[in-house]
Amino acid sequence: MRPVKRYWTRRLGGAACVVAIVLVANFFLFRLMPGDPVATVLDPRFSPEAKAQLEALYGLDQPLGVQFLLYLRRMATFDFGLSFSTQRPVLEEILERLPNTLALLVPAYLLSVLLGTVLGVIAARRRGHLAEKAVLAAGAVSFSFPSFFVQMVLLLLFAYVFPVFPLRGSLSIPPPEGTWRILADRIWHLALPVFSLVLLGFGGWALTVRNLVVKVMGEDFMILARAKGIGERRLLWGHALRAALPPLLTLFLLSLPGVVSGAVLTETVFSLHGVGRFLLDSVLGQDYPAAGGAFYLLTLITVGSNLLADFLVQLADPRIKTGGEESR
Amino acid sequence: MGGFKRWLAGALGALAMAVPLALPAQGAGVDLERIRGPKVRDLYLVVVRDPDAAILALERGKLDILGDVTRPSDIRRLSKDPRFSLSMAENFHMAQVGFNLRKFPWNVQELRRAAAMAIPRDRLVRELFSGYSAPLTTFLPPVSPYCDKSAAAPGLDAEGARALLKKAGWTWNGSGILVPPGSKTPLPPATILSPTAGVAPTTAELADRIAAALREIGIPVKAEPLDFAAMVQRIDERKFDLYLMAWQLGRDPDSLYSFYHSSMDVRGGYNQTGLKDAVMDGLLEALRYSPDEPAARKAAKAVQKALADRLPIIPIYTRYSVAAVSREWKGAVVTKASAADNSWSLLSMEPASGRERPLYWALGDEPRTLNPFTASTATDWQVLGLVYDTLLAVNPNDLSDLPWLARSWKVETMAKAGAPKTRLTFSLRGDVFWQDGKPFTAKDVKATLLFLKKHAIPRYFDSVRDIESVTVPDDRTVVVTMKNVSYWHLHSIGGLPLFPAALLDRIRDWRSWQPSRTPLPGKTGLTELYGTGPFVFRESKAGDFVRFTRNERFWLIPR
Repeated sequence: MRPVKRYWTRRLGGAACVVAIVLVANFFLFRLMPGDPVATVLDPRFSPEAKAQLEALYGLDQPLGVQFLLYLRRMATFDFGLSFSTQRPVLEEILERLPNTLALLVPAYLLSVLLGTVLGVIAARRRGHLAEKAVLAAGAVSFSFPSFFVQMVLLLLFAYVFPVFPLRGSLSIPPPEGTWRILADRIWHLALPVFSLVLLGFGGWALTVRNLVVKVMGEDFMILARAKGIGERRLLWGHALRAALPPLLTLFLLSLPGVVSGAVLTETVFSLHGVGRFLLDSVLGQDYPAAGGAFYLLTLITVGSNLLADFLVQLADPRIKTGGEESR
Repeated sequence: MGGFKRWLAGALGALAMAVPLALPAQGAGVDLERIRGPKVRDLYLVVVRDPDAAILALERGKLDILGDVTRPSDIRRLSKDPRFSLSMAENFHMAQVGFNLRKFPWNVQELRRAAAMAIPRDRLVRELFSGYSAPLTTFLPPVSPYCDKSAAAPGLDAEGARALLKKAGWTWNGSGILVPPGSKTPLPPATILSPTAGVAPTTAELADRIAAALREIGIPVKAEPLDFAAMVQRIDERKFDLYLMAWQLGRDPDSLYSFYHSSMDVRGGYNQTGLKDAVMDGLLEALRYSPDEPAARKAAKAVQKALADRLPIIPIYTRYSVAAVSREWKGAVVTKASAADNSWSLLSMEPASGRERPLYWALGDEPRTLNPFTASTATDWQVLGLVYDTLLAVNPNDLSDLPWLARSWKVETMAKAGAPKTRLTFSLRGDVFWQDGKPFTAKDVKATLLFLKKHAIPRYFDSVRDIESVTVPDDRTVVVTMKNVSYWHLHSIGGLPLFPAALLDRIRDWRSWQPSRTPLPGKTGLTELYGTGPFVFRESKAGDFVRFTRNERFWLIPR
């Protein structure tokens, strides 16, 4: 078998194992958690017999083995069943919320990375200068402030004291008429949450990029490039940043699942109807099908991001071999 | 504690207690006959999950009604703002300490009584809730029409508690820990379960202070904060000494049967304390199967008296409901038992300026489902309650039954052949129409009851399980015969939401039915989510709002 093929067979096999382990853990962990969806119904007007009916409705009256087999079949076919709390198909629930979450997270994440990268490179280039100190300080503040606090302050400032942005939601009430007006209204509603996420997210990137670029700038090949008379700008953006690209790509892709789950607080503060909040509600409400489906998708995103990171890193850095004799 | 400190604590407490008195005077009674509505044409239920964001939205004029304001700081802030009118009402909330009577020493009555006497409810409520709650000694919330205020747990008397224990033969060891009569071993350490401070900060703090008060008389108790689900599991598995838990009860005293009848000490039952007492069981059965209102009232009184003797729980406090309404609106209905965020307000409110505009009412959470068969949260029913109506309503003034879709009713006990049975006869109004224009008749009531019974829908299971037959002598009369005798059947049946018979016929799977997403054939703008209620459901934008318009056919609109 060729090394490349062998490498990818191994990686894909590993990924499948991870998915399988998470699938099993997903099923049993939720059931090992204290309480169950019926036990937490605390209403003295609900008799034990009515609770038994509810258990049957949720399918919890079946033996655990039967429940497990049904769960495996559902995960394999992407039919996650009906959510306990909404009684709607879980996939439908997730897909309904996904556009809101993507509209929030994609621009926020890309802008954070872009801003962080630019500022990180500037800081690396201007070592010891005010620019570097400013970026380091801003990065540290952005990186370390609790998101909930920052978002509440922003909401207070820009939606209450200076009412430039709306206080809540993704649409005005009543909504405007016409496609373009609705689009503009949605952008207006998303501006503050996106801005808050950029504010909270760029710092980590700036610090990472700065550190990586500073390290690369001291490498022999950079000294050689400088000696060959390559301009400072090309040196920095063309050589240093490219050399720092593999770890940045890995970080970029591996942060994706965390970004999705990190949307919980933002969606709560700005009253947005997204996947993050759905995930939290499902876990808190012990909604097994919803939590199982959401975590399964999150696992697929994580594993997929990992594989994609491996692939892109190889493309970005030809020095990285793909296993076999060549890698030693 | 020194004299000055004690004085200071008292003075601060008195100051805190003064805050609710600064709130507007509470409505003593509202003339319901004069309510004709709804007057508002467009109604938006606005989803705001974060309480801080809700307060800001109210202050920015994006909300007109905000209910369930619980934090004292928010209440104080809003009460100082002239743009809002705040209303406060008694509530069916009840926080209590439960004992595990299955094990020693909690099965000893005098110890429980002494514990009740050791807890300084007044001070705790004053310090932790700034006066926006009331200390509780009764076994039903005082707002309940069945609450017997004379049957109460003892109040604070720490010295009396010590004397009581001493008289019963209890002693104290060198560390001040109680030693049971005839024993040399002091009581073992125990815990009081409570939710964590992260979930319920005041309840966690309250548990800590209750434990401290019990230690003062020698009961070695420490608070044990737990994740809520873990706490419920421990109580369900009966692995606890004491617990602190709050309940949201209803108008009727049916919770007493669930909490204290020995048959309810089973998996899924609510007799968490494990009270098993034949006399008590007899009293509870008399309450549950009372044939009429006077008998029910008498039985409820007897049960509460027995509870005051046995003390399986110690009532601690009850929370008030607080709601804020923008002064741009007038006509909100406020009574002793209901703050302004109620359905009566929606019938009678109108813009103070006289210029018509939509009304914005806060929804504290996203409705999980708008399927009335599976909807279970208060938020779901805040939405559905505007569409669906019931045979009887609850009078917000005194919580008595009020004619609604039923103009009148009769509760009889039939004892002709076999076991006695309750027979309910409802005479329906003749001026009620479904929102699709068809008349509301007795056939719709029958279809609803039979549908709910046939499908054993968990939410309605207990209400309809005892139905023996439903007959419809004419379009305006429904006769429901139950399998047994109970006055409470009136409220169970009279309080059910009613659905059109024609629609019920079409429902293939009640579980996955999504009425708000299914257009009603031949009726533009209507979905299958329609009833006889005051508002017509128009659309739901998930995460943002639910929009209604006035039901022009509603029977309370003057014609």
